[in-house]
Amino acid sequence: MIFQLLFYLIVFPGLIFQFLSAWVFEWFDRKMIARFQRRVGPRWFQPLADWIKLLSKENILPKGSNEGVLTLLPIISLCSVVTAGIYVPVAGFNYFSFEGDLIVILFLLSVPTLAYYLAGIASIGIYSVLGGSRSILQFFSYEVPLLLALSGPAILAGSWSIQNITSSQIVKGPFIIFQPLGFILAVVGLIGKLNRDPLDIPKAKSEVIAGSLTEFTGIKLAFWHLVMNIQAVVGIFLLINLYLSWSISITPLLSILIFVIESLLMIVILSVISAIFSRIRIDQLADIGWRILVPLALLQLFVVILM
Amino acid sequence: MVQKVISDIESEIGKPYQQLESIINEHVLQIPSEDLRQVVKVLTQKHGYNHLSTITAQITKEDPDYIEVLYHFWKGSGFTLLLRLEKENPVIDSIIDFIPGVDFYEREVAEMYGVHFNLRDGTPPLLLPDDWTEGPPMLTSEKE
Amino acid sequence: MEKITIPIGPQHPLLKEPLSLLIDIMGENVLGGDLRLGYVHRGIEKLAQTRNYVQNVPLIERVCGICSHVHTTTYCYAVEKLLGIEIPARAQYIRALMCELERIHSHLLWLGILCKHIGLDTIFMHTWHNREMVLDIMEELSGGRVSHAANKIGGVRFDLDQDHGPMVVSILNKLRVEIDKLRDVVMYEPTIRARTQGVAPLSPEEIRQFGVVGPVARASGVDVDFRRDDPLPPYDQLKFSVVTNQAGDAWARTLVRVEEIEESMKICGQILQDLPDGSVEIRASRRVPAGQVVVRAEAPRGELIYFLRSDGSDSPARLKIRTPSLTALSILPKQLSEIQVADIPVVIAGVDLCIACADR
Repeated sequence: MIFQLLFYLIVFPGLIFQFLSAWVFEWFDRKMIARFQRRVGPRWFQPLADWIKLLSKENILPKGSNEGVLTLLPIISLCSVVTAGIYVPVAGFNYFSFEGDLIVILFLLSVPTLAYYLAGIASIGIYSVLGGSRSILQFFSYEVPLLLALSGPAILAGSWSIQNITSSQIVKGPFIIFQPLGFILAVVGLIGKLNRDPLDIPKAKSEVIAGSLTEFTGIKLAFWHLVMNIQAVVGIFLLINLYLSWSISITPLLSILIFVIESLLMIVILSVISAIFSRIRIDQLADIGWRILVPLALLQLFVVILM
Repeated sequence: MVQKVISDIESEIGKPYQQLESIINEHVLQIPSEDLRQVVKVLTQKHGYNHLSTITAQITKEDPDYIEVLYHFWKGSGFTLLLRLEKENPVIDSIIDFIPGVDFYEREVAEMYGVHFNLRDGTPPLLLPDDWTEGPPMLTSEKE
Repeated sequence: MEKITIPIGPQHPLLKEPLSLLIDIMGENVLGGDLRLGYVHRGIEKLAQTRNYVQNVPLIERVCGICSHVHTTTYCYAVEKLLGIEIPARAQYIRALMCELERIHSHLLWLGILCKHIGLDTIFMHTWHNREMVLDIMEELSGGRVSHAANKIGGVRFDLDQDHGPMVVSILNKLRVEIDKLRDVVMYEPTIRARTQGVAPLSPEEIRQFGVVGPVARASGVDVDFRRDDPLPPYDQLKFSVVTNQAGDAWARTLVRVEEIEESMKICGQILQDLPDGSVEIRASRRVPAGQVVVRAEAPRGELIYFLRSDGSDSPARLKIRTPSLTALSILPKQLSEIQVADIPVVIAGVDLCIACADR
């Protein structure tokens, strides 16, 4: 029993599985963007090589900063993201589900954003503080549409447990058919949460160098990279479960295959959007977020409630 | 055309100036350094010579006790004002209130040749480092 | 909210060359900036006095990496005017060809950098890929991609043979297709326009007061182009139009430069069509008679002015260079005082700084 639990926590769908998924995600994303830009792109082991290289770098601290805080923040973020990943079903396999786990996952996925902001403030340097404050400003613009869009499927399925939402889709069909607008808003919110182009305002290289993570080096930076990538993977899995899952009851092999194909499709969507848009300004983001995205999310929710 | 401009300047200021043929491609007018501001006022405001290309300073072999300062204007053709300042105490009025863009040119002449510009808030160094102590570089001779 | 100062430079991802800008911001609004040059100052004007005229040609080429050819062209014309010689027509045309190719590659480089700084890496990669085509032409003709050493006093160092003309034309035709696609993207892509339209406008009055030249001035409606108004040969025999725009903001500056690439390609076509026969150099004596000369040329960034004084020996007595980047820098603190923090890259990239030029 205890071995089974440890297996689930550490190997699948826990730490090792998420680490490997993050590796695949980063490689596929970088390769796609490179092909759009007429470049060759990295080879399959590049993300792992970069991560191992970061582990071996020197640990430099800005003067006046608190080493304990700066070390603790990436560790806490990693813990919350991996924990969120354990609750998200992968190809139908779900051991830890309970009623209300969707809300817990959304809460756990907000912890890294707050930790990112605190990391910027705690690093004291000018670019870090600026990047951190921008990340909180961006948070206010995309989080509300994201939460509303992710609540739609829960209302349609009548339950706050992801397991029930996926089984409801087997009966009714994938929810993307009923709420396409919600899916689009969820993708936009995910881009904002992951700090990707066009919403990578907190880490705009030409304005704030690297935002909150400017002063991080070595193992701490490696952990932050891991947090960002696992967050992306967990977000993608969450979206697939909430909007695109309809195949769990078919043979396990086929459902795994479909899950993998849908994940890769999501990465393609994210890469295409990253490659073709430029970064928007923070005031334009706030404008779009509250004037366009929130009303659309409310409209979608209204339609769902009426159904 | 340019002759008209020159005679207009001379009549405005009230004294004759010497035209030189010393620069190929340019009309050159030599003026004393006290008249600079009035002449620039006539040139820019009355005749539309709005574009000041640059200010050149030089010390010639024939006249090593003087620093020549050349103001190169342009409007269809080049028009240069030539001033001679004494090397021991080179002082000239700034024209930064007519032409704000002249700031960088005056600062460079000041730091390279040691010229002092009146009517402006000092000339902070432009190209030389803040802790440069060796004096205006263009005035020093080569150490062979 | 209190005022903080962010240092842009000397090392910064925004800057290709070192420059120190201390920008005061409050929240997301920029209050102003303080500029400090001199990090790449090599004392070229003083160095030129210690070398003879022939040795100065490679020295002048290294004032700037991107616009190296136009610097040596202006210098060689200045020396040739003092010598009283006129170089053969074929050499004049070849000099103009390299100048226009340089203008194309400089504007493509600039477009890539602007798009990189606003977050659109894809266009950056594509424009620099296209720029490689132009650099391939220059390497075929002169042997070097970026520093060509094309000029010498009395003419040019190499000649075009029968294959070069058609080769250049075919590569330029391929490039024209790519540039058309790029122009459509730049003009109609909504995010580029959203980031650059209305940012840091300059009125014609401010342009005149600060003496700004080049595409920045033309984007505000000031119709000055030294290829037409004070032409070095053979521009007086070439037909081209000067691109202007009335809006004066960063968007207008983008459009002006993209259109200028088109015009430069047309000029290159004309040059190759009208290329006269003859030799490409003429013998020039090493001792230059005493005299002074002022030569102006149109570099990719604007008006370039050289003042050269000779005292009869084989070294210049005074060489004064004023590059167009210096005028763009003088208006930069003013442009920085009305914008938001996110517009800083757009403004700094939009004036196309070449700090090595400005510092000499």
